[in-house]
Amino acid sequence: MKNTFLKATALCCIFTLSACGKKDQTSSTAPDGKLDPCTIRFSWWGGDDRHEATLKAIELWNKMHPDIKITPEYGGWDGWTEKVTSQLSGGTEPDVMQINYDWLVAMSPDGKGFYDLNELKDQIDLSNFSDDVLSFGKVGGKLNAVTVSVTGRGLFYNSEVYCHLNAEYPRTWDDLFALGDKFGQNGLYPLDLDIQSGGTAWYLAIVYVQQKTGREFITMDGELGFTVDDIKTALDFYRETEDRHVIRTIRTRTDEDGNAALYQSQEFIGGNVAGVLEWGSSVGKYESVLPDGVLEAGPFITDENGNSGGWMIKPSMLYAVSKNTEYPDEAAAFINFLLNDKECAKILGTSRGIPASASAEQSLEESGMLTGLAQKNDAMLEKLDTITISPYMELSRMKEFYNTAIEEVSYGMTDTSSAAQEMYDSITTYLEKIKK
Amino acid sequence: MRKHTYRNPVGVSRFTGLLLISPFIIGMAVFMIYPFICSFILGLTDYDGIHPPEFTGLDNYRHMLKDRSFRNAVKVTVKYALLLVPMKLIVSLLTALLLNIEIKGIGVFRTAFFIPSILGSNLAVVIMWQYLFTSKGLVNQFLELAGASPVSWYGSPKNAIFIIVLLRLWEFGSTMIIFLTGLRSIPKELYEAAKVDGCGTFRAFFSITLPQLKNIIFINLILQTITAFQEFNAPYMITDGGPLKSTYTIGMLIYDEMFRYNETGYANAVSWALFAIIAGAVAVMYAVSSKIRRN
Repeated sequence: MKNTFLKATALCCIFTLSACGKKDQTSSTAPDGKLDPCTIRFSWWGGDDRHEATLKAIELWNKMHPDIKITPEYGGWDGWTEKVTSQLSGGTEPDVMQINYDWLVAMSPDGKGFYDLNELKDQIDLSNFSDDVLSFGKVGGKLNAVTVSVTGRGLFYNSEVYCHLNAEYPRTWDDLFALGDKFGQNGLYPLDLDIQSGGTAWYLAIVYVQQKTGREFITMDGELGFTVDDIKTALDFYRETEDRHVIRTIRTRTDEDGNAALYQSQEFIGGNVAGVLEWGSSVGKYESVLPDGVLEAGPFITDENGNSGGWMIKPSMLYAVSKNTEYPDEAAAFINFLLNDKECAKILGTSRGIPASASAEQSLEESGMLTGLAQKNDAMLEKLDTITISPYMELSRMKEFYNTAIEEVSYGMTDTSSAAQEMYDSITTYLEKIKK
Repeated sequence: MRKHTYRNPVGVSRFTGLLLISPFIIGMAVFMIYPFICSFILGLTDYDGIHPPEFTGLDNYRHMLKDRSFRNAVKVTVKYALLLVPMKLIVSLLTALLLNIEIKGIGVFRTAFFIPSILGSNLAVVIMWQYLFTSKGLVNQFLELAGASPVSWYGSPKNAIFIIVLLRLWEFGSTMIIFLTGLRSIPKELYEAAKVDGCGTFRAFFSITLPQLKNIIFINLILQTITAFQEFNAPYMITDGGPLKSTYTIGMLIYDEMFRYNETGYANAVSWALFAIIAGAVAVMYAVSSKIRRN
């Protein structure tokens, strides 16, 4: 009996380790330069506006390429990373994926996690992208993904509420705090910050400190640029936004919204919370729950001397091809269609932000579609001295460190000095570990 | 002619017997035993789910002892199980007693009480819970009507666990059905004889019903304890483990480590720790209750 058990265990070990080792041995299907009939799976996350536009774009592709069928897989952002991670672990990921910036570091640290698009240059017209934009998708010398759009978080306000209170959109941090006092008298809030998947609470605090000190929070090569004091300043800033009624406390927010996203919350839809910090490429979901034209882009906040530094940009999303795809040429051709095709660009509009592709941007400009909140936000960002977000900053574990500190400070479980020291230690240890 | 023996009452060959049970054996080997062993092996590795695993011995288990998140998750899970299981057993038993009364149309009530159990914690339930327990929700509106102060349900680290417990408590159907089956198997003669001897309803409940149901109570206790320790879906959907991780169960920790943080090795080690905790809890229950069940 004992022998049988030992043999069975040994057999399992062999299967397990061979299964784990198999992935490295998998060789990608080489491109043959031809488009063969096939079915391609394409996955993306987003709000309803993006889903509707993308499905229409797929219809156009199907008309142009009836023999290459696209199977769409889409949903909201919450839980999407976990879904794709498990697909990648099991080798069942879609052929074409809309990926987030930090996934490159997390899922392809050596550039071998996704197909090298340099091998598919015949199918994707990369001349529409600047070298800077293309560099976002490069890992270890391999082009793992192509940037769809470059965006940054901007401030968007409910113009009806601001108008009703005769308030102006804040231009400086002092204006923002003064608005908290004004809105507070009416039981309203001029802005919302969260510690959910968006993590805007920490984002705005970083902007404040970056603007003040000129230091980057996390550098592009994954070094912590902030000191303990900088982190403490950021946490103090956050606490002041709560204390001055600029935002709801986490307790109030959780009590009022439960686990719902802000754009699904009655507090936002009803105007009790009259502002949001959001990516230009994703603001559509907030815009669509308010009457037309009510949500407006506000100015980027500066210090009292007009210093507008500290605001950040990043590739809002990228398209990547699975390294396990059997149809690399067809997948690349589909990506090229999504990125560069002029008709497709008109259908997609700014549902993924202002296109990084010169061809798509030109198409939108010619057809007068380069308008809306995303465009206004990006146009304002272009005038600022922005910082490119490090992909390390958005890793899930890092977000956990920020959100834990913010939540503990908000609930008064710890003081900002202790929370800052703990966050500093956690981030330093983690960054050392993942860069090994 | 095939010889029928006591051991082989239907006269099938040993091969036929094995063939008949093979789907179960194969299924269990492939989908339970194999992943079970693999999970133990992966728990001894540093594995991110993407690159090949690296053997690290007991490092994951050592890390677990120092991990504040793990200690918190164990505390939350035990608290959750202690709150939920006794309440669920009492509510299920009382409802089963009511539904055991033979009146016209009782089947409709039995079905109605079972319906919440098939809902699980899906999106519709999540939205319903928000309507009920957010600060301006129905529950607080009723409390205010009754002159009481509104309660912070979602936002209070002390109260959030109760809305998860209430959800699972509401879904008592399967526990109730097991009790109902047990109640219906108690011979009616016992109650009739007791009645003749002047025994009242309460006395009959404590002297006949409870003793007759002791094994059923034990089965439900074991099943509900195991389910409570494995809880993931309800806190994930309703509170996302918050606030301040006050509803962050071991199941959620395993999920986060596995899928959010790509710590597959550690997630598997925590799964084995959870298995050990459940096995320990069940063993204690068996040991403590063995005398009662024997009598």
